[in-house]
Amino acid sequence: MAICQFFLQGRCRFGDRCWNEHPGARGAGGGRQPPQQQLSGNNRRGWNTTSQRYANVIQPSSFSKSTPWGGSRDQEKPSFGSFDLGASTNRNKGFGLSENPFASLSPEEQKDEKKLLEGIVKDMEVWESSGQWIFSVYSPVKKKPNISGFTDISPEELRLEYHNFLTSNNLQSYLNSVQHLINQWRNRVNELKSLNISTKVALLSDVKDGVNQAASAFGFGSSQAATFVSPGFPVNNSSSDNAQNFSFKTNSGFAAASSGSPAVLGSSPAFGAVASASSAISTSAPAFGFGKPEITSAASFSFKSPADSSFGSPGFSGLPTSLATGPVSASVPPAFGGGSSVAGFGSPGSHSHTAFSKPSNDTFGNSSISTSFSAPGSIVATDNVLFTPRDKLTVQELEQFQSKKFTLGKIPLKPPPLELLNI
Amino acid sequence: MLPANHFGEKKVKMSLFGTTSGFGTSGTSMFGSTTTDNHNPMKDIEVTSSPDDSIGCLSFSPPTLPGNFLIAGSWANDVRCWEVQDSGQTIPKAQQMHTGPVLDVCWSDDGSKVFTASCDKTAKMWDLSSNQAIQIAQHDAPVKTIHWIKAPNYSCVMTGSWDKTLKFWDTRSSNPMMVLQLPERCYCADVIYPMAVVATAERGLIVYQLENQPSEFRRIESPLKHQHRCVAIFKDKQNKPTGFALGSIEGRVAIHYINPPNPAKDNFTFKCHRSNGTNTSAPQDIYAVNGIAFHPVHGTLATVGSDGRFSFWDKDARTKLKTSEQLDQPISACCFNHNGNIFAYASSYDWSKGHEFYNPQKKNYIFLRNAAEELKPRNKK
Repeated sequence: MAICQFFLQGRCRFGDRCWNEHPGARGAGGGRQPPQQQLSGNNRRGWNTTSQRYANVIQPSSFSKSTPWGGSRDQEKPSFGSFDLGASTNRNKGFGLSENPFASLSPEEQKDEKKLLEGIVKDMEVWESSGQWIFSVYSPVKKKPNISGFTDISPEELRLEYHNFLTSNNLQSYLNSVQHLINQWRNRVNELKSLNISTKVALLSDVKDGVNQAASAFGFGSSQAATFVSPGFPVNNSSSDNAQNFSFKTNSGFAAASSGSPAVLGSSPAFGAVASASSAISTSAPAFGFGKPEITSAASFSFKSPADSSFGSPGFSGLPTSLATGPVSASVPPAFGGGSSVAGFGSPGSHSHTAFSKPSNDTFGNSSISTSFSAPGSIVATDNVLFTPRDKLTVQELEQFQSKKFTLGKIPLKPPPLELLNI
Repeated sequence: MLPANHFGEKKVKMSLFGTTSGFGTSGTSMFGSTTTDNHNPMKDIEVTSSPDDSIGCLSFSPPTLPGNFLIAGSWANDVRCWEVQDSGQTIPKAQQMHTGPVLDVCWSDDGSKVFTASCDKTAKMWDLSSNQAIQIAQHDAPVKTIHWIKAPNYSCVMTGSWDKTLKFWDTRSSNPMMVLQLPERCYCADVIYPMAVVATAERGLIVYQLENQPSEFRRIESPLKHQHRCVAIFKDKQNKPTGFALGSIEGRVAIHYINPPNPAKDNFTFKCHRSNGTNTSAPQDIYAVNGIAFHPVHGTLATVGSDGRFSFWDKDARTKLKTSEQLDQPISACCFNHNGNIFAYASSYDWSKGHEFYNPQKKNYIFLRNAAEELKPRNKK
């Protein structure tokens, strides 16, 4: 149910009688049966409850000052009826501040974040227990960007894959892929449920700026992957969802978040402020947008899984693998801390990125990409980490890299050789 | 005889179009009297010769055609056409094939052509009078949505695909009239001139305006937190498109107005297709909303879900009008006929639980229900 805004501000006039939830007063998340809701009623009631919440907000005489209430409500957009915990409330406010989400938060913001995180945990629990479709992106707050680590696969896409594999008599690799996807999802859900420090950091920045899921198919790279249509649309705030999607593989931190990109180029403080991981990144390649530390730290989570996957990561395997092999444990910095890998992340990142897509001119700007090319030195330095020398690849892997698309089940785990990348 | 009697009384109430004959056709169901199986708990009319695999899309003919013709596209790569008579009898008329599962179908405004979109990356135009189908569109990935646009100064077919493009085709040319980039794979779309809405993967949501030529009108931040599954545009009292309903995989539908006087108040979401109703203390099962359709006359809406139920809602009164009994399979598609008398829904597996629950032997059904009464709005505001 909705969190009472006034209670959070310490001035709820209704106290115990209040129809909204007073976290802490009633046990956060525990008491979800507030008296007036009568949720045991029939379905119709259920719907009506939703409107009743609206009624609470807008009409009843007790909330006679509809304006200030309406005002603050507008800001957050109606969370009623959609998100039980109302963790969305005042999200904007809390995050509006920040470039420095971790530098002294006011108690209110801390509460907001706590609400948000609790909301996320709750959502994860519901997701797991409800049997709903698991291959879906997720955002903790309506109208906010997606959290990283989830991919969107529609049932039809999955089914088509099944049929394709059936006809090619390769059902086992379909099954493996699906199992792998399920495991990835489960890992991510568990991460979000357990919420240690680095997850929190990543999450909060995700929610703030949006992470771009390289949506599709971890592995069903097939059609989407090959046609890497460069996301031609402007990165703007109105699209809460990911401006850039590089259908290959997970955010991999390449895409700058929606609102973030202009900021990325300019504001180093943003980097410096967020988790220590950022410091390494900001020095290397802010211009590329994966300076966005939150993305990279988020990326570390999504990369973690591919490391053990049977179908590895098409194309960008260079980066994820190398990062994943680093100590991708709870602490994010080490994953990027290795100087060489960071620098490698900077330029070759975009470098190999462009191998698979037309450079997304909007975020990165053509200039920044050419910059990376002008620094082949750094690429070479990390050669062994990011690229496999050709002679170390098996015939099958080489074949895979050379073909237009990866075949599911045969996707190499090693990064591609430098020579095969089209710059 | 027994089945007929059993249906007998209900028959009168349930007759589609006022007459009381012709329920013999429902007896074509192999299961006859519904003893223990639950394939048709609502005792609706079954369409004869239903497709052999999951039905992905349904579409009724426009008012320009006399009578009612139903088109269904299925995962058996076929598109079938039935004539639905007033008595409730369904007569299979024709069939066309694609080389891949058919994901969407639509009619031209004059009722002479049917457009079909398929996983074989093409879209075809099916001329019903000659029973010929020709390819009119090509994409780089399966075509997920297809809609006919009839504007005063142009007509075209709009196709949305998983290749992240929206293409507009003059059926006479093999090159698209226009290509618009989408942020992500197209998952669902709807068109009511001059408005079009496309929902994509990664919770993308874009509204287009079609006057003059199609152009992006606004990108909207998704009011839902999970994957978008289906979208349907609704109209205002003056019959102009004014907003849309968006369904997700998380048993939730968002009603969103394009330019409401008070967005915070006018836009809302509601939960649906969940197992425990409104009892939130026990974990509920949450099902995807597979389709949304608005009643052409009353403006009320129907949703169908993976839970095997359909529900009717009044979005203005914000109440539920009815929920059906649970079918033994998910309901994968639905649509209303042009005057709102018939509600068609397809009962077939939608892959919501993955391949393990796929049973190719299981029969797929399309049911027809009299929708004139049940979808009347609750109270006029």
